Amino acid sequence: MVEKRNGPTNVLIVGVGGQGVIMVSKVLAQLCQNHGYEVKQSEVHGMAKRGGGVFSHVRYGSAVWSPTIPEGEADVLLALEWAEALRWINFMNPDTGTFIADTQRIVPPFACRARGRGEEAGYAPQTPEEIMAQVRAGYAIDATSMAEDLGNLKAANTVLLGALSTTLEFPVEDWLEVIRGFVPPHSIDINMAAFAAGREWAQAGDKRVEESAKGLHKADVELQQQVITKLEITEEWCKGCDICVKMCPERCLRLNEQLVAELPDPSKCTGCRMCEWLCPDFAIKITNTPVLEAAE
Amino acid sequence: MKDLEPETPFEINDYIRLEQMPHFLCPGCGHGIALRALLWAVHELQIDKDKLAVVSGIGCSGRLSAYIDANTFHTTHGRPLAFATGLALARPDLHVIVITGDGDSLAIGGNHLIHACRRNLNLTCMMLNNEIYGMTGGQVSPTTSSNRYTTTTPAGNTEPVFDACALASAAGASFVGREVTMQVTGLKNLMRGAIEHHGFSFVEVISDCTEIYGRKNDLGMSPEMMLSQKATMRPEAYRNTVDVPFRPNALECGVLTQKDRPEYGSAYREMTANLRAKGKQHG
Repeated sequence: MVEKRNGPTNVLIVGVGGQGVIMVSKVLAQLCQNHGYEVKQSEVHGMAKRGGGVFSHVRYGSAVWSPTIPEGEADVLLALEWAEALRWINFMNPDTGTFIADTQRIVPPFACRARGRGEEAGYAPQTPEEIMAQVRAGYAIDATSMAEDLGNLKAANTVLLGALSTTLEFPVEDWLEVIRGFVPPHSIDINMAAFAAGREWAQAGDKRVEESAKGLHKADVELQQQVITKLEITEEWCKGCDICVKMCPERCLRLNEQLVAELPDPSKCTGCRMCEWLCPDFAIKITNTPVLEAAE
Repeated sequence: MKDLEPETPFEINDYIRLEQMPHFLCPGCGHGIALRALLWAVHELQIDKDKLAVVSGIGCSGRLSAYIDANTFHTTHGRPLAFATGLALARPDLHVIVITGDGDSLAIGGNHLIHACRRNLNLTCMMLNNEIYGMTGGQVSPTTSSNRYTTTTPAGNTEPVFDACALASAAGASFVGREVTMQVTGLKNLMRGAIEHHGFSFVEVISDCTEIYGRKNDLGMSPEMMLSQKATMRPEAYRNTVDVPFRPNALECGVLTQKDRPEYGSAYREMTANLRAKGKQHG
């Protein structure tokens, strides 16, 4: 339970666009209002449609003046995505804060700097165990997989609400009533089940970690097979039309002094085949050999 | 048509006459990309090269048939569809593909095009539209955009543009599509659909003429031309979307018309079989 203090209680909710951060904060704000608290909520969700970060500050208490939470003063950090949780962890009060995060990974395009096939994304390297060792109280819950098992992974935010309900002092019936008012009528049942599952999981004790391999985007990353790419240019056929140089997404081709295409650094080529397909003179040939086959 | 995907990946060198390469097209000409897409579609459909007949007319597009390692037929100006009609009627076992240009099929062979569409014979017609007569020196063609400079319109073209797809569709072609060379895989899939279609299929490929048209009109080199052509297209997935009112002049690409119409070849063969049977009865 969050300890009672004189000031307002601060809950910071973070996630990625489309996960339901705003829904979670609205539920919480409505619940606090129903209990007669003064509530201030402020959010940033502009980049949400592009898979960008979303955050929402919810502050409630007998009197709230500022709508935003100062750094290091959030009583609860509720994260719907793992990297977002780490990004905002310094907003959490180190002595009294509770950390609740989904272990689901949504790898942003920005993290995919290494463009080759099967290359690992530059995602947050910290494991949930490492973070659990640092925080005072925390739950690393695989809410997305739990919601998926219940039938709809969109209910992951309600699973996290269930976990949040163990930290705040409101009665369960009030939580459920507010959620019922916010979700679409056809998904009430699944959201009730998701809330119960999240609450039950969190009640089994804190500092727990659950991580399954079922994360939304994790499997895609692991499925990509590494390949060895070979790019051959038939110099006699190349007419130097510049199409491959301009269209290459990696900008790794160039024209030499004889105006013939060449690949100065083969390691930059990702084998996307754009140049091969667009070469009007059929001068470029790309072979992608899977790494395992090449080793044999 | 076989449903299975081919086991070997597409390798263009298996389908072209290597002794003829490099081809005669200017640097950056989109016709080469269109040829690749066509051969790729042929590969994916697993059409035997002996069962493939490519007919072409005169012009830059007409020369493409010379580079294909199959049964090819380089015919007179504007008449590839007429030759192909005879070929398809006499040899229904062949996959007949016609490669033609905008001037070849819309100006000189305009009549042949509309009547081929009307008959709906099982043919595939790929029209490479580069908006100009490239090989003969850059004269204005029926598809040259307005205000463009050519050797015969030194003050800018004032004629309205011919919409080849609308023409083919109205004349009765049962499969009509349009694509830009920039979208190679889209063009390949479109050609695949066109070859698979039973009936007359017409595909307009927006190609670029860098050396004559691009240079005369200051449209940049081929990468710039290809990108600007792509930008004027509205892909199939974007039909009826919010951008429609904002880009009123965008051309739709992808499959534009697909309808069921009786194919002419089967009706013709039925008629000849009936006549033969009658002749035997009387004789």
